[in-house]
Order: sequence, then structure tokens, then C-alpha cells
Amino acid sequence: MGKTIAITGNTAAALGAALSRPKVIAAYPITPQSSVVEYAASMIADGKLQSSMVQVESEHSAMSVVQGAAMAGARTFTATSAQGLALMYEPYFRMSTLRLPMVMAVAGREMTAPETIWSGHQDTISVRDAGWIQIYVENNQETLDMIIQGYKLAEHKDILIPVNVCYDGFYISHLYEGVNIPEQSEVDAFLPPYKQEHVILDPEKPMAVDPMTPGNLVMKYRKSHLDAMQRAFDVLDKIDQEFGDKFGRYYGGTVEKYKCDDADIVLVAMGAMSGTAKAAVDEKRAQGVKAGLLKIRMMRPFPNRQVAEVLADKKAYAVIDKNVVFGWPNGAVYMETKAALNQLGYRVASLPVVGGLGGADISLDHMINVIEKLEKMNKGDKEQECYWLED
Amino acid sequence: MNYIELLDKQPDLVTPGTSACQGCPAELSLRSTLKVLGENTIMCIPPGCMAGAGCVGWNFDSGLKVPVHITLLDNTAAVLTGIKKSYEADGRDVTVASFAGDGATSDCGFQSLSAAAERGENVIYICYDNEGYMNTGFQRSGSTTKGSMTTTTPVGEVGKGKEQQKKDLPLIMAMHNPAYLATLSPSHMSDFVKKVEKAKSIKDGFVYLHIFSPCPTGWGFDGAKSIEVARKAVETNLFPLYEIDHGEYKFTVQNKNPKPVSELFGMMKKFRHVSEQGIQEVQNYVDKKYKILQSLVG
Repeated sequence: MGKTIAITGNTAAALGAALSRPKVIAAYPITPQSSVVEYAASMIADGKLQSSMVQVESEHSAMSVVQGAAMAGARTFTATSAQGLALMYEPYFRMSTLRLPMVMAVAGREMTAPETIWSGHQDTISVRDAGWIQIYVENNQETLDMIIQGYKLAEHKDILIPVNVCYDGFYISHLYEGVNIPEQSEVDAFLPPYKQEHVILDPEKPMAVDPMTPGNLVMKYRKSHLDAMQRAFDVLDKIDQEFGDKFGRYYGGTVEKYKCDDADIVLVAMGAMSGTAKAAVDEKRAQGVKAGLLKIRMMRPFPNRQVAEVLADKKAYAVIDKNVVFGWPNGAVYMETKAALNQLGYRVASLPVVGGLGGADISLDHMINVIEKLEKMNKGDKEQECYWLED
Repeated sequence: MNYIELLDKQPDLVTPGTSACQGCPAELSLRSTLKVLGENTIMCIPPGCMAGAGCVGWNFDSGLKVPVHITLLDNTAAVLTGIKKSYEADGRDVTVASFAGDGATSDCGFQSLSAAAERGENVIYICYDNEGYMNTGFQRSGSTTKGSMTTTTPVGEVGKGKEQQKKDLPLIMAMHNPAYLATLSPSHMSDFVKKVEKAKSIKDGFVYLHIFSPCPTGWGFDGAKSIEVARKAVETNLFPLYEIDHGEYKFTVQNKNPKPVSELFGMMKKFRHVSEQGIQEVQNYVDKKYKILQSLVG
């Protein structure tokens, strides 16, 4: 079953894309994503990847080129970070609302200002309501695997929504880990070629794509998009099962539950920090504290039932956000988690936590501090003030 | 087949029922262009007059008979690139072309246009130049001639219309070394058709076509005079007709005794307020530009 080599997250992203056989790639380099573009270009230069690659002048054009290619029926790939994602916002929204499936890897980075190039979730969190599916991963292997799974999810006929695979800049993009690279034939069997029919620019089948549309139809399209989003939970679960059966790696679909079953208190985390959270859970469990971790894998759509199911009967939970919501005194995942519980009629004591902004460290001590704060909380406690993971 | 026969016999790929203004030469140019490009064509039309007139479909009863997409205002050349790349990968020869206004071309869409030209994408970028954002009520663009009254360069106690000279898109694009570049006018249809035919035949690089398209509604002249105004722009050298075929510059319509731009200025309301000195400034700019072109033709 393939081979295991030590590679960076960016190389894993490029290899995951290459194994998915995109017909057209368009990308513009940006720290910390650049080596994805370089690696894809080198595979093409070495004759190892048959994609047509366009070296565009901006992320705005990167997303526009792949949109054009997707409308001509091609499977496409691009990757970006922070300012690049912000620059491509206009065609980013267009891609999802035209229901054009693709995968875009995002090496997560803090948004400027202040000037920064370091890690964060602020870039993708800021566009969480632009119609894409967003999946956050914990390590290099999951980056590669979820790009392959992402195509299967995006292209599923009940979904037809593009997918972001979000991996933390530097913590994943630049660090080396052992990654199993599946055989091309195995991936081909899992991910068959895609044939697009619903939106196609082809002289043999003339179609006006996206004429001026009246509001009653816009309403219909938006509802259809939202309905498809809600189907993504089950579809991802099935894809995860099929992927696990074939490749031996199961991720849990929308969420990963780490020692949650008998836990009294639960950390909710997303992305690379999940590894640190798991270590903290283990350490506290060794001291007899019943702690667990709920890792959010799918942020859009937000798996409200799956999250509420885990947290409903707990004493307290904390959500560690690597982003902020301007307008609330905390991060986005906390808001979403709280909303999910409330929507389903549960009220659980909770602690909002913000850390890791602009590449700031989220240490094992931080995570243990969070667990210890939760230990002191009671089931009936009201909302706590946001705890900032500072030095 | 001469151009009259061609325009007569080829199927009209723009449906009836488009809602362009009376006398709009952009619609005429689009119909003529598509008669030459034919059915094996994919069109991209960004927001602007032709999209507003329903060429991408409106009320479900008008549009084009070839595949057409309304791009964003600023990404047309990049979308053309993606469509073409996909067909190239499939080994299918499809003509991929735009029909974009001068605002989408010279202003916010210029970055993606410049890059597609630099990369030598084998697409046909067509700009119809009506010197402003006419579909939204005549705001100035970079391609508006100096002195023009527009809704964003109004004439008043202080304001005297647009203060800057027209951005010379064809010459700027010429410096991108395209496989083929031409300026076209609906007043010279024989020349027009030849250039679109040449554009369609190019298989080795980027094509840029720039069509002069006087706007009766915005510029303030009778819709019956659109072709006359377009002809005057050629005769005054405000819009000289030339082509560049793989680096070879050539005037396709000779203009031995150019008329003064004042004759063009007198034909419409948008220049009504312009002083003699203002007209002279444009005349000097037109003369300088023409000298540059002459030196390039050699």
C-alpha cells in the first residue's frame, strides 16, 4: 500500500492534488503556501504530472482560471493563504455559487494588519460564509488524504460544492512528518474521473451560464445550496468510511472524538493544535481527570448534531479558537459550538479561548491550563470571559 | 466570399430581442464578429452594455446561440485562459473569445488581461471601446477621451470634463508582443471582417482586438449617425486602423490627409463645452500617438 516518506505539509498537499489528477492547475505563490506551487511545477517539469498548469499573476486570476476550466468540465486545483485568499474573494464566491466542484488547499495564515506571515485560521474563518465546504486537518497525512477525499465530496452529485482543505501555515505546511503516499492505481479506484453536466461551456451543448437572475430564482438556488451543504455530513462520513476501508485511515468524518465517551470535560479544537490538545488530555487523564477532545474537522457546513451529541451531557467544555470574531469577544468556533448546542436545546457551561494568533505558540501548558479552568467550573456556571493564551 | 456575402450568409448567432440602444454599434460589431467566429466558439462577456442588453440571457428570451458566460468585471482574460486550457488538454480546437467593454478592459480587468497576453494564451480578447461605463450611465473610464463630459467628470463652474488623455489600450497591448493585434471600426466592415478572420486563424498565441464603438446615448448624437461618427474617428486619426501580425505593424486603412479632431468633437454633446485650447490638446496627443505608430510601422 504505497510508500511512507518524510515530507512537509505543502508537499503532502501537492502530492494529494497530483494523485487526484487535476486537468488544470492555476496558482500564485504566497508564504506559507509557495512550495505547493513549486512542487506541482516540478512534478510537471519532470513529466510526473500531466496537468496543465497556469502561472498566473494573482490569486484573483488563479481562481478565475480554474473557474473557466471547471466550466469547460475540468477537474482543477489551486492553493493559497491569507492575503491571497482575500484577493480571490470575488471569484471564490462565484466558484461556490456556480456549484463548481474543486479542491483548494489553504495553508492557514493570520490576516494583516499587523503585518504578519505566520500561522492562523483568520483567513479561512473570515470567508466561512462564502459557500465553500471547509475541512481543517491536524497533520501532513490528513492534508494529503483530505485533498483526495475532498474531490470525492465536492464532485458527489448530491453535493457539487467546492472544498477547502485548511492546514495550519508553518505548523503543517513547513514541518516534516512521515506520510504514506498511496499508489496512483489505488487513488484512481477510489476517485474516478469527473464528468460535469450541470454547468458546462461546450459549443456542442450551447448554454448561457449565469444570466441575470431574478430574486425568486436566487432564493431557490440559495436554498438548494444550503440543502446540499446539509447533505455533506452524511456524504463525508460515507467517504471517510470508504477511504478507511481502502487505505486503512479513518478520520471520523465531520468530527473526531478523542476520549470523549466517558469524559466530564471536553476541549474543542481545530487543526494542528489538536495534537497538543490530545497530549494534554492524556496527561490529565494520567492524573485521573476525565478529559476528552472533540476535534472539529468540518467547519462548513458546521456539524451541529455531531458536536451537540458529544457535548450535551458534559460538565463543561472549552473551545480554543485560532481566530477572532470581530464583534464578539471570542472566536468563531466557540460561537458555532454554542449555537449548535442551543439550537438543539442544550445548555452546558463553556469557556471561550483564543490563542495561536499570528503564529503564537499554543503550548501543552496552555492546554493543561484550559483543562484546569474547566475542572473548576460547575455544570450550572454561566458563560466565562474569554481566556487568551498569552505568554 | 467577400465580406458582404459573408455577413449576409453566415447565421446570426446573437438572438433577436437584445435590448441595446437604437443605433448601438457594439451590438452590430458583436453580431458581425460572431458571424465570422462561427458556432465552434465560447464567449465570455463581462458586465457592461452587451451583458446588460441581454447577450448572456435576460428574461429567458435572448442571448447568444453559442455558449456564453458573464464573467466578473475584472477576470475575463483569466476565465478565457481556463476554458482554453481545458480544451487544449482535451485536444479539442475551440475558439474562446471575449467581448468586453473598455472599462472592464482598461481599468479593473487590465491586470488579468496583461498577464494572459504575457503568457501568450491562445485566446481572442475583444474590447469594444465606447469610452466609458455606458451601461451604468456613462461614468469615465481610463479609455475616455480628454475633455469628455461624463457623469463622474461633470462640467460645471469648475469642472471641465475628463482631465486626462485617453489610455491607449491597443498600443499598451502591442507592447505585450501578442501573436495578432488589430484595431477595428464598424465604419470599415471589409477591414473589420478580415481582422476577425485573421484572429480566428491564429493558433500560436494571444490575440487582442480593439473595436471603436461610439455610443449615441452617452455621447449625445443621433443613433442614425453611429457609423458616421465611427468613420470620423478613423479619418481624424483619433482611432487609426492598423494591425500587428506577429510583430509586423501595418496600417490597414491609409489616412493621407487626416481631418482635424474638431470635426469629431462637433458631432456630439459630450464635447460641446470643450474650448479650442482643449481641442488642440487632444489634437496634439492624437498627432503624437500617430507619429509613434508611423515609426512602428516603419
